[in-house]
Amino acid sequence: MMLSRIANSLFWMGRYLERADHAARYIRVHYYSTLDAPLASKHDFIVDSIIAMMGMEVKKDKSFNEEKFNNLITLDEGNPVSIRSSVAYARENARGARDSMSGELWGAINRYYHFTNGYSEKDLIKNGIYGFCERVNEHASVVSAALENTLMHNAGWAIVKMGIHIERASQVARIMNTKVKDIKKLEKLKSNRSSESYEAVTMLKSAEAFDMSKMYYRTVPNLEEALEFLILNKEFPKSIAYNLRHIHHNLGKISPQKFHDSGSVEFEIGKLHTYYHYLTWEEVKEKNITEFLDETIRSVYKLARSLESTYMSY
Amino acid sequence: MAELYLGETKNSVFDTYKQDPKLFDEVIQADGKVKKHYQKIVKHFGKLAVEEYQKLDEFAKISFFNQGVTFAVYSDTLKGVERIFPFDLMPRIITALEWEHIELGVIQRNKAINMFLYDIYHEKRIMRDGVVPAQLVFSSNFYNREMIGVNPPGGIYTHICGTDLIRHKDGEYYVLEDNVRTPSGVSYVLSNRETMKKVFSNLFLSHNVQPIDDYPQQLLEMISSVAPDGIDDPTCVVMSPGMYNSAYYEHSFLAQSMGIQLVEGRDLFVDKNFVYMKTIRGPQRVDVIYRRVDDDFIDPLVYRPDSMLGVPGIMGAYKAGNVTIINAPGTGAADDKAVYIYVPEIIRYYLGEEPILKNVKTYRCELQEDFDFVMSNMHNLVVKPVDESGGYGILIGSKASKAEIDKFKKVVSGNRRKYIAQPIMSLSVHSTFIESEANFEQRHIDLRTFSLMGRHKQFVLKGGLSRVALKRGSLVVNSSQGGGSKDTWVIEE
Repeated sequence: MMLSRIANSLFWMGRYLERADHAARYIRVHYYSTLDAPLASKHDFIVDSIIAMMGMEVKKDKSFNEEKFNNLITLDEGNPVSIRSSVAYARENARGARDSMSGELWGAINRYYHFTNGYSEKDLIKNGIYGFCERVNEHASVVSAALENTLMHNAGWAIVKMGIHIERASQVARIMNTKVKDIKKLEKLKSNRSSESYEAVTMLKSAEAFDMSKMYYRTVPNLEEALEFLILNKEFPKSIAYNLRHIHHNLGKISPQKFHDSGSVEFEIGKLHTYYHYLTWEEVKEKNITEFLDETIRSVYKLARSLESTYMSY
Repeated sequence: MAELYLGETKNSVFDTYKQDPKLFDEVIQADGKVKKHYQKIVKHFGKLAVEEYQKLDEFAKISFFNQGVTFAVYSDTLKGVERIFPFDLMPRIITALEWEHIELGVIQRNKAINMFLYDIYHEKRIMRDGVVPAQLVFSSNFYNREMIGVNPPGGIYTHICGTDLIRHKDGEYYVLEDNVRTPSGVSYVLSNRETMKKVFSNLFLSHNVQPIDDYPQQLLEMISSVAPDGIDDPTCVVMSPGMYNSAYYEHSFLAQSMGIQLVEGRDLFVDKNFVYMKTIRGPQRVDVIYRRVDDDFIDPLVYRPDSMLGVPGIMGAYKAGNVTIINAPGTGAADDKAVYIYVPEIIRYYLGEEPILKNVKTYRCELQEDFDFVMSNMHNLVVKPVDESGGYGILIGSKASKAEIDKFKKVVSGNRRKYIAQPIMSLSVHSTFIESEANFEQRHIDLRTFSLMGRHKQFVLKGGLSRVALKRGSLVVNSSQGGGSKDTWVIEE
């Protein structure tokens, strides 16, 4: 039997774990891509992209420099979306639900926390932001393995997974949205066509989707294909459609009834999931893509709120 | 096998071990010979060079850290400073024969204290018979009027008891305190053992160490046994003040190792005198609550109205017999340090037996004769408040300045009921690794035992928590005051 408060902790643990993982990967991919990107003022452009994806507001005044920015997005405790903050929140939530998880999972999260918490600004300067983010992604993988393999796949696990899928759907939508806006910005700067395909690849890499999408389309995907893959692909675990299906599936594990009234969170997710499941790329194409992605993010957040008020309030 | 003497281990962590002849050393006899039950351990440690020992020590620390066996000091930022409790790798060893004496003594004490609690909340025979002064009991801060006439399931009040023992220089064990409210520390006993097994697996093979890992199972059985009458398959929970409590690690550890829910007050509510927890499937009834929240905070309708940690109405449900609270409210009246003085009499009164374990001579400042004695001899006494724990508010006369003593005399005179005094007991010493000296030295230790009382059940954890005062010469072993701990082995020789 699962306490509503514990469910809440597990849900947010999943969300923060996923958030930290995406932030680290986005930073890493973009940091790496600055090295040989086809644009002169590339550094500024990357900084803006990271700020937009992480959802921060940053004043770029005179004192702003790369070192400060790198610290802000990774180690700054005052920044609630820095990687260190997300990991600390994940661990605080895990600590609150310590008794309902395996020692292995707790140990993995605890080590992850001590890694980010113990990392100093000096280390960051010495090892570079890439090195830090890579280690963050590694820790996230270890946690993910413990989550999959050391817990019963029961209600508690389903709640963590729902947190993960909700966060992942919204993060991937944010990545797409940011990249589409980046491309528009580049067009204004009269950059050539090659930057659109370059950014499409960066987008796929930020969702660890580049290799699979290449295999799927048997070519390096263009922007449309990249968006189609990340929104609609039913078999790729980062796509919006995939994640909505899994939220629906996991909710089935904790939901007591089989049939659901309209207005219930079960009804809501059923409707949302089937919409994306049967959506075609032709239909998406007719829409304004950034508005469509904004709407996606709003629907996912609304769903998260309904889940919390139905199952996790105390 | 030749018997080992101190000084025969060369180039080891025992090189500069100094024996103070005035102290009772648990490990080494007055003539320098290592005691029989410590021979193998000292031989083993005696082969370790300082660097080797330090490596093992580091390994043990990382083990605690990664298990999250830490306490945190929280600040405004997320970055709480986390520390592990100091742990000494050299185990404290108690022979099975000696342990039997301790175990019998602890059980005897608990039985008598439990009967005493029943009596003071019912017929009050012991007061009427003039064995314990009624005025002393009623004036205890922990005498709980809500408990008068209440019958806890199985007649049990002190389900979990932490009895603190010391060994004096005469070699005898004395009881220092009976902790019958919510004694803590057992999770450290179990974590210490886990770590020791990782670091010194070979030592366990050569010693017949009594296991302790059945404690969570024993605890769960005890908890289930005192469910309200008529409940066959009770829902039991551990109740914690929350994750910012310093003992949260222990609360979550106990819940997890028993496989039951860890709840907070806000997870529970009372409806028509039954207690429920809020789950993802709606309310579920709770039958037994092992609470780690003090009496004062469990029910804002009855006790402190500002408590955010409790459950409004829970005392009503308890009195109606619909839920069991562990330990029963009001047990603090028995671990008042002034009531402690009467425990030997309490044992004789209810059980008709002689106490197996000794009490330390204690002066009640409330009594004129004792008060006069304390006032003129404070420099040779330990003065303690009757109702605090964790080593807070005590004065050790021999370590205090004249000004401190004068100040304390005023404090005591102002509230005589609150203070007792005892001769300064010379706690036994044990070889303990001192980081700053990179060697073993003598340090004072005590022993907290953990015992359980259920329906038809008595259980004492074989071992317990040996606490060690890490500061040279210090007699204060509490973790909040710079104390560490040791694994405690009960061995069959």
